[in-house]
Amino acid sequence: MNVEQVRRAPATRRAAGGGGFRSWWGRNQRKIVPYLFITPNLVVFTLFMFIPIIGAFYVSLTKWSLIGSPTFIGIENYVQMFTDPNFWKAFYNTFIYTVGTVPTSIALGLLVAMGLNRRLPGRTLLRSIYFVPVIISLVAAALIAAWMFNDNYGVINSLLNAVGLKSVHWLSSATWAMPSLIITTLWIRLGFNMVIYLAALQGISPEVYDAANIDGAKGWKLFRYVTWPLLAPTTFLVLIINIIYSTYVFDLIYVMTGGGPGFSTTVLVQYVYQEAFQQGDMGYASAIGVFLYVLLMVFTLFQWRVTRQGEQAS
Amino acid sequence: MRHPTEGRKYSRRAFLKAGGGALAGASVLGLAGCGSNSASKSGSSGGSKSGTLSFLVWAEPAEEKGFRDIIKAYEKKNPKAKIDLQVKPFDNYQTLTTRLAAGNAPDLARIQYQEMGRFSSQGALVDLSSYLPKNYGDAFTPDLWKAVNYQGKPYGVPQHTDTMAIFYNVNMLKKVGVTSFPDSPEKAWTWSQFMNLARKLKKARVAPYPFAVGWQTSAYRWMWFLFQHGGQLLTNNLKGPMIDNPIGVQTIEFTQNFFKENLVPPSTSIKSNEKIESLFSNGTIAMMLNGDWLMPFVQDHLKDPWAVTYMIRDKQTASDLGGNAVAVTKDTKNPELAADFLKFLASPEQIKQFCVTAQFIPSRKKLVQEGLDYKLRPKDMDVFVKQSSTVPPKMAAEQTIPKFGDINQVLEDQLEAAFKTGQSAKATAKNISSGIKQALGS
Repeated sequence: MNVEQVRRAPATRRAAGGGGFRSWWGRNQRKIVPYLFITPNLVVFTLFMFIPIIGAFYVSLTKWSLIGSPTFIGIENYVQMFTDPNFWKAFYNTFIYTVGTVPTSIALGLLVAMGLNRRLPGRTLLRSIYFVPVIISLVAAALIAAWMFNDNYGVINSLLNAVGLKSVHWLSSATWAMPSLIITTLWIRLGFNMVIYLAALQGISPEVYDAANIDGAKGWKLFRYVTWPLLAPTTFLVLIINIIYSTYVFDLIYVMTGGGPGFSTTVLVQYVYQEAFQQGDMGYASAIGVFLYVLLMVFTLFQWRVTRQGEQAS
Repeated sequence: MRHPTEGRKYSRRAFLKAGGGALAGASVLGLAGCGSNSASKSGSSGGSKSGTLSFLVWAEPAEEKGFRDIIKAYEKKNPKAKIDLQVKPFDNYQTLTTRLAAGNAPDLARIQYQEMGRFSSQGALVDLSSYLPKNYGDAFTPDLWKAVNYQGKPYGVPQHTDTMAIFYNVNMLKKVGVTSFPDSPEKAWTWSQFMNLARKLKKARVAPYPFAVGWQTSAYRWMWFLFQHGGQLLTNNLKGPMIDNPIGVQTIEFTQNFFKENLVPPSTSIKSNEKIESLFSNGTIAMMLNGDWLMPFVQDHLKDPWAVTYMIRDKQTASDLGGNAVAVTKDTKNPELAADFLKFLASPEQIKQFCVTAQFIPSRKKLVQEGLDYKLRPKDMDVFVKQSSTVPPKMAAEQTIPKFGDINQVLEDQLEAAFKTGQSAKATAKNISSGIKQALGS
């Protein structure tokens, strides 16, 4: 079609449509269709996210054991929460877990991504191997990790013994349980961070590196002054995702230690589960859930603002 | 010139997008699939012998066979009735409570005696008085019948009981010179005899650890030690704690020493989900304090000779109040059929069959007196049967009050702290005491 034909087409359409739906649709299609596309997701989101969140806010103001109906008690659950030493212990454990998993897994992911960004033989295979832990079932991985770390017949202790070291009470001592969880998490998160960094690294045009080389930047200087700043938006994204994952961790810990020994690996979501289903105190569990929600909402808003500021600046 | 990685960069991005989309889609499907099973459909004319019932249980393989045999027999007698057995892992009370909240709980559920109070006191179960004949409870072991009653009305039917004794590896004990064993609960090893044996086993290194206790993640199994030492958890009127005293503190210290002296694997505290029977079967421990229903497992997995002896004693003999009742939940649409099936399940013939298949002790007095013809290791089973008469009635009463679930949680948290994080026995006793006060609202 030449330019003349293209310019004439819309007018022709309008004239041929006649009145009614066809022409209304033709005019408003562009505005309506996007909404149609997001409607299914929005429906699911509303049913499974918005409504339960509002429900949780309500339940957090009641005392309810799931059997029978809730009794309204106002902010008593929140008062209990802030004066509950177990809650603060869970908060502290979540913090330790986050600090232990986030920077380490990001650094490792970046390291591996940089390594596999070069022309290594078999790098596609290696990339897949690193990524597999991300897509396998977390519960399956946790079960196997629990066996591997088992005090009495686990593979890891057998390997330690083979090189002459003493067995470590991985999951049964309050000191080593958290490190076991962190190690297992690193194995899983590494691949995820690696993939995101790989994509970002590939987005850095080689001309930048060429220019830097001409200026004499090599090795660590190259990374520090060229690569790292260019990866800043990616690092930010990866940081946020990892922090959210770590704050919300549950299945791994539930399967590997159940929050034990004692309270040494009980994190916030584990505590919510315990209070809800073992203690039968849905109101209190919901209050903790609301606290988590507000915490992460504040964090996300902060991230959103900083990213927008960053975008506006650039 | 085209960027050398441009084409590949796009495909990687596409991969990530597709992967993200797939994950999102899968998670939606996963959430949507979290529906619950359908509730029962009632019979055509509302008559008591026809219809479908759902029955929620946890079960070892032998127990599952026992249940299915009962169901088969009932369906044969009542061809228009159908019972759907739903087997879930142990501690399926989460399933039960969530389904109760959703209003589609199974018609029937297997419930431990210690949990009956929680459900019956909150209206989750059907009062069976109108379905059971007068004096129905007289035929059952008194403590078990009391456990299924709430405010004088029965909310379930006791099916069986079980208890705990000491499994031991014959060769390992022979290595430290132990070849003769007590022949009655009253002649069982005392606390000090048992600890000395454990220390001997540890010194001789016959196994990585001398023994372990099969808590089964239930802190209330610690209570037999308290009663053995002449103590009790609650006051006589069951309204307050009675553990913050020398007897309580000494019992905590005694059980703490299991861990302090490294006589049990550190991974076998109350909260852990280490399978004790696996440790016994693979030679990690020489003895285990555990229950009769594990005999089939040990029989299948331990090839060395093993046997059972009586639970340790101190000032008194005491062992675990085990076993379960079966109850009808409030969501049933066919209570007559459910109650009829319950009566069948609790009839002498069916209890006999179930207990022989799954290695349990019957809940009916007459059957206990007559003795059952156990097929698997009858001599060892006899130890458990004799041991079951040492369950203290006061302990049974304490464990079956409605608020016992909360008390159990207090026990669990505090004992775990005492065993694993070095909390002193005195502090533990104090904390348990105040936790019980809080739970009972006194």
